[in-house]
Amino acid sequence: MTAPFSYVRVTENLDAALDTATPDSQLIAGGTTLIDLMRLGVMSPTRLLDINHLPLAQIEETDKGLSIGALVRNSELAYHPVVKARYPVLSQALLSGASPQLRNMATTAGNLMQRTRCSYFRDVGVAACNKRNPGSGCAAHDGFARQHAVLGGSRDCIAVHPSDMCVALVALDAVVHVRGHYGGAGADVTERAIPIADFHLLPGSTPARETAIGPGELITRVTLPVTPFAARSAYVKARDRASYAFALASAGVALHLDGGRIRAARVALGGVATKPWRSHEAEQALEGQVATDAAFERAAAAALSGAAPRPDNRFKVPLAKATLVRALTRAREAKA
Amino acid sequence: MCRGLPPERYEPKHWWGRVATSGNITAESAGARRLLQTGDSAPDLVGILGDREGRDEGEAPTVVALFSDSEIGESAFADDREQHAIRSALRALGAVLVAMSPRWLWVFRPDEGGERQLLDRSSWSPDGEAQRLFDAFGVTPDGGPRPGLRGLFVVDGKSTVRFAHRLGSAEQITLGTAVQAASRAMLVPASLAGRAGASRREFLLASLLAGFALAVAEACVPAPPVRDAASLPHEEVDLTLEINGQRQRLRVEPRVSLLDALRETLGLTGTKKGCDHGQCGACTVLVEGRRINSCLTLAVMAEGAKITTIEGLGTPEALHPMQAAFVAEDALQCGYCTPGQIMSAVGLVTEGHAQDDDDIRESMSGNLCRCGAYPNIVTAIRRGRSAMTGGSAADAGPKGAT
Repeated sequence: MTAPFSYVRVTENLDAALDTATPDSQLIAGGTTLIDLMRLGVMSPTRLLDINHLPLAQIEETDKGLSIGALVRNSELAYHPVVKARYPVLSQALLSGASPQLRNMATTAGNLMQRTRCSYFRDVGVAACNKRNPGSGCAAHDGFARQHAVLGGSRDCIAVHPSDMCVALVALDAVVHVRGHYGGAGADVTERAIPIADFHLLPGSTPARETAIGPGELITRVTLPVTPFAARSAYVKARDRASYAFALASAGVALHLDGGRIRAARVALGGVATKPWRSHEAEQALEGQVATDAAFERAAAAALSGAAPRPDNRFKVPLAKATLVRALTRAREAKA
Repeated sequence: MCRGLPPERYEPKHWWGRVATSGNITAESAGARRLLQTGDSAPDLVGILGDREGRDEGEAPTVVALFSDSEIGESAFADDREQHAIRSALRALGAVLVAMSPRWLWVFRPDEGGERQLLDRSSWSPDGEAQRLFDAFGVTPDGGPRPGLRGLFVVDGKSTVRFAHRLGSAEQITLGTAVQAASRAMLVPASLAGRAGASRREFLLASLLAGFALAVAEACVPAPPVRDAASLPHEEVDLTLEINGQRQRLRVEPRVSLLDALRETLGLTGTKKGCDHGQCGACTVLVEGRRINSCLTLAVMAEGAKITTIEGLGTPEALHPMQAAFVAEDALQCGYCTPGQIMSAVGLVTEGHAQDDDDIRESMSGNLCRCGAYPNIVTAIRRGRSAMTGGSAADAGPKGAT
């Protein structure tokens, strides 16, 4: 059973609540990751701050793009007419993730903070996990690593980042807006903006540190800039069953086509890397090229050129290439 | 309160042994009647109750509680929450509760609106068999030195005593505490579940008895701290939830899921617990009309929201169209996932995104059916949707192409 904790519902004074945040407290919104991990004993905060009643659930169009409140539910975002029409990769990614029930609960900010599905991380009976217990080792390195990363891994961690939404956000140049106290207690609360590519951290030698934000900070919104490539975008996900499963490999792509030629491209991969993975190699291979199948194949080869698979997940390399080619093909053929 | 206990504590031999060593289930001192023991033939409850309340329950188990108090009711149910817990546990067993004191007798049937049927001393004067029971359990009239619950035994449907316990002088627990612990223990003993020939009811009864014994044991022996208990917040919070159009007050710890609050505290057991991790959909309910996994929501988080469970969808006499469609299309085998399937299907129709059968399958992917009744579930949802939306071409054909 879940260990006891105290509960505070934050309704108005967010800044005061942030003041009281400690490393042992957690913000809770949808709860779909946090409650699951608390029940497993992987996370055991002593205090929950329920932020569901803060006014952060709006989707707003501005001249700079789209602003998505931290508490916008995945289902609402996926079916939002502007998202469907102008950011299809995001709608498709959201709808490929989880189940309708979970999408009705899970939030935009929560999905940014989603934890890995590494079975060794989720099993507290396994001693060695540098994410759970820094310095204890990595059981996946000597264990069954079929689901693990082929890109971005380190000696200390090869756990995959599980989000679909974040892969789409990488393809859309999203920016994460964060509110917090900087400069110690009593200092003013200010906001800062973090490009999505910098939000998630590579595991390196500190796998327990997964994002660029700390305990006293709160994600308030995510903004999507106006770009020439977002409308021609697509998300393709390969998994062990037709629906309701985490990605073995996924690709979120966006293309700016000029005639048949690629003016700009965004290529992001999921299911194969330790963070939502942007492939600059693939983007460089595409830009300036005519959008042919052969160009897509070359881009896929470039995207996986740095892959370091293990015996159990060697299949992910050709799978990720094929997934990326299919996503690029869908984007090329999309009405934009 | 019941704490999390290692599974071996639920082994029947272990808890029987534990209670026996507390010195309670033993022969009484010279001159007193021997206390009832497991396996004994039950006292003549029909003789005690007469035709007032009639032991007309057939095979139903009976939980008999003996009190010293002159006012049973107050000491039995500390509050509404305890009453809910007792009701829930009895309902799962199909059991009736009979509480007796030298002045009062009442019968509590969990599913009757009358809640309790009380007889006062003008029509209840224990004699014969009942008086011998009071003697055996140390019940003295007018409270005596130890008021409250003094003893408890359980008779199965074959009139065999399955459990008997007399509370020692140090033991002070309410009936609600005992039954609440029992209801939690119901899910536990795998060793009993797999026992050849054990019916579900027998299994539940055995679990109930384990729960009573645990509650008694825990009330007497302070459990070792789980982890630095002094620094951990154990406080409960008062909540009001709006469930199926009714406001329900309850008091739970913050860590209690909405699912557990519905099932264990409020007795709404239509919502099922499958995986408890948001993977199977058996716990699906509607919050503000939207389907969610109640296992991954805390009860405290649901305060202020309108919650609909399967109990609020229709009644046996007037099924909701989706319930009727599941019946008509035989969309189930064992039925355990069915409440979640139906709630999810209602959410699907309300959302309005699913067009053809493939969409229905995709949109129902969060509800697993281990019997594999999927083909009929899809058909039932098509039928239910047609009934809910007044019918459309999309619902007429098997593919429903639009």
